[in-house]
Amino acid sequence: MSAFAELVDGGVRLAIPLLVASAGELVSERAGVLNMSVEGIMLTGAFAGAVGAHTTGSASAGLLCALVAGLLAAALQAVLSVTLRADQIVTGVAANALALGATTYGARLYFTEGRTVPGFDPVALPLLSDIPVIGPALFDQSVLGYGCVLLTVLLAVLFGRRTGFGLAVTAIGADAETADRSGLPVNAVRFGAVLLVGVTSALAGAHLALADVHAFTDNLTAGAGYLAVAAVIAGRWRAWPTLAACAFFGLAQALQFAAPAFGIHLPTAVLVMSPYLLAVVAVSGLVGASRAPAGLTRPFAREARA
Amino acid sequence: MEPALELTGVGKTFGEVRALDAVDLTVRAGEVHCVLGENGAGKSTLCNLVFGSAALDEGEMRLYGAPYRPRRPAEALRLGVAMVHQHFSLVPELTVGENLLLAERARLRPPDLTGRVKAIEEEYGLAVDLAAPVAGLPVGERQSVEIVKCLLRDPRLLLLDEPTAVLGPAEVRALLATCRRVAETGRAVVLVTHKLGEVERAGDAATVLRGGKVAGSGPLAGFSRDELVRLMVGRELADLDPLLAAGLDATEAPAPRTPRETAGEPVARLRGLRLRSDHGPDVLDGVDLELRAGEIVGVAGVEGNGQSELVAVLSGALSADEGVFELDGVDLTRAAPAVRTAAGLGVIPEDRHHEGCVTGMSVAENLFLGRLREFRRFGLLDRKAMRAGAARAVAEHGIRASGPDAPLHTLSGGNQQKVVVARELALDPLRLLIAAQPTRGLDIGAVDAVLTRVRDAAARGAAVLVVSSELAELLTLCDRVMVAYRGRLLGPVAPDAPGARDEIGKLMLGAAT
Ligand SMILES: Nc1ncnc2c1ncn2[C@@H]1O[C@H](COP(=O)(O)OP(=O)(O)OP(=O)(O)O)[C@@H](O)[C@H]1O
Ligand SMILES: [Mg+2]
Repeated sequence: MSAFAELVDGGVRLAIPLLVASAGELVSERAGVLNMSVEGIMLTGAFAGAVGAHTTGSASAGLLCALVAGLLAAALQAVLSVTLRADQIVTGVAANALALGATTYGARLYFTEGRTVPGFDPVALPLLSDIPVIGPALFDQSVLGYGCVLLTVLLAVLFGRRTGFGLAVTAIGADAETADRSGLPVNAVRFGAVLLVGVTSALAGAHLALADVHAFTDNLTAGAGYLAVAAVIAGRWRAWPTLAACAFFGLAQALQFAAPAFGIHLPTAVLVMSPYLLAVVAVSGLVGASRAPAGLTRPFAREARA
Repeated sequence: MEPALELTGVGKTFGEVRALDAVDLTVRAGEVHCVLGENGAGKSTLCNLVFGSAALDEGEMRLYGAPYRPRRPAEALRLGVAMVHQHFSLVPELTVGENLLLAERARLRPPDLTGRVKAIEEEYGLAVDLAAPVAGLPVGERQSVEIVKCLLRDPRLLLLDEPTAVLGPAEVRALLATCRRVAETGRAVVLVTHKLGEVERAGDAATVLRGGKVAGSGPLAGFSRDELVRLMVGRELADLDPLLAAGLDATEAPAPRTPRETAGEPVARLRGLRLRSDHGPDVLDGVDLELRAGEIVGVAGVEGNGQSELVAVLSGALSADEGVFELDGVDLTRAAPAVRTAAGLGVIPEDRHHEGCVTGMSVAENLFLGRLREFRRFGLLDRKAMRAGAARAVAEHGIRASGPDAPLHTLSGGNQQKVVVARELALDPLRLLIAAQPTRGLDIGAVDAVLTRVRDAAARGAAVLVVSSELAELLTLCDRVMVAYRGRLLGPVAPDAPGARDEIGKLMLGAAT
């Protein structure tokens, strides 16, 4: 494989979990809830997926375990940040620390002999995968990979501004009180959005463990969840730019490994930093006005009027 | 026939504040029922209980005979109750059409919306531009959108919480006509207002609240105007400023203020102020004005002729493209707000809720936000002194709050306004006071108090610029009245000149002097 094909291949592989995780996080942030816990839920999903697959010998059973674990973790986050109105950033970061500790310890207890698990094998799509260079990179993914991309596109379309869902979510994130007075179920939508983040983050984690490395290692996600949150910021809370940011982040990560083959000798640190640099540039408004939902991280309760 | 809305023994307590106490209210179908009362009397709380934004502590409500206890606005809306809130409730990021769709998400599609909005336009004469972003709309148009949003739902009961406070005279007339039309179709309207003139023009019955209790209630035919005022503020009409009589009925010309014999030395100078607009003509098209010490100058005009922008430029919220603004010989055209304040410029902004205060902070913090230096002791804030200072201001201005530490958002709308007014009037030295719609949203007792204070400020040597859509207010308060027309100031008109009112009316339409 040429160095370029390898780069694209690696980029796509790394971008898929970012795509699906940030698609869910985008919906949630547009509704006004910031989940720093994407990272933790991803890691939890990856761990539960690996354990499930290892125990049953079936990757699909592993995926199911990942989804259940992701939903449970997200439900906890939703109770804290929507129902109890705790600080979203603090609870999110705490959840990440908890997830890292618990999965590392759990892996030590559970995977006593070898950490490889059964996973999803790539399925080459006929014809499409024969396209030179990008064919194998794009159209030789696992079922899980295709599923993630499909869900991403579905969410981007379903929650665009033109749909009723999208409009409701935008209003709830922009001005929860007004949305409530218009008859929208503010906290129910927000709760649902956090659960959605549970599903998408768990899918992302499961993709890492079951479709990518086929194993669980300590801190498997290694900041991918934070990248997904950064992608939403870099995409300025709009669907297609967010997805583009994910693709860029994936490529930037792949470049770490492929750079020597291109004869590029940038310090790795620069490449590791590049996604975050992009996010900073995007938020600081160098590329147009950055518009966060006005009600982001602001919990809603009816009688505490604004 | 059973009443549209019936409240018996309704009570509501916020912490230590008894907002409503044993309130009985009966609103009949086909009538406009006015709810009156001082700032903080409990009018908004009453509306919120009926709309499900707040839960009642005791008592009982019935809607068209059926027991009614909405737990959230969605439930009230489903049962045919719609409300226009005291503070705007539209999502500014969305367009008008999107805001309207929000409420109708499940039932309407954009093409149907256009049809329904057309039908409402024909029936009520309320036109809205569906494609316009809400953020750029003038207040009058926003209010129309709010009302169309309510009418789209075809409500059986329409609650309007001070809908006219932000409107100009023509818009008020249109709104009152809409109220009448809604009532004539057999529905019920609850209209909260401070203006007795509006009550008389549109109301069938009235309920007066005082300190959370019902002070009086019944068909309007049973009340004289004096009686209503007494019930509202506990004072006789005759004790109040002559201006108030004007506020009660805009057609009665009040006795103009006797102009000062000798105007003081010039304090502020505006020369050639220009503010360009991205689309269309300049918003400010060369404004020249000189303000003298002790002089009160008014700016009248139809909304949207540059008055709001003039205040924004003088306060530093917008920056002028050309021209000079000097205060005591110091050029403040591009000065930071803190420099303006230090130079003795006090500004009461038009949109006090959004620009004038921080609703999450306490009354004391809001009062002294710009003067924290005075309360510093050993580098720390002397909270005790702040609280004491705030308590004094609260008492002096009759601000109804549970205490100086109460967060501003727990105050009633009118009391929030009073906090901003109190802060700006307390500036020392106060050289130039700019007051935009200073009496908006205040009860008639508070209007009286604010006008007295503005006159006092002038008597102590400050120059005062008042921008108001209440012509009567300008005529009694001011020494001369300018008229804003397409970004320029026309006039002056002397308020005591015969036919001043007609003269101003002509200038508002752009007739040359
Ligand atoms: N969320 C709240 N928390 C604490 N106190 C509150 C809250 N809401 C209202 N109050 C208090 O209840 C009282 C009634 O307030 P309300 O807003 O009903 O007055 P209002 O009659 O509408 O006055 P205005 O004419 O100024 O709008 C006030 O004293 C206010 O401070
Ligand atoms: Mg009110």
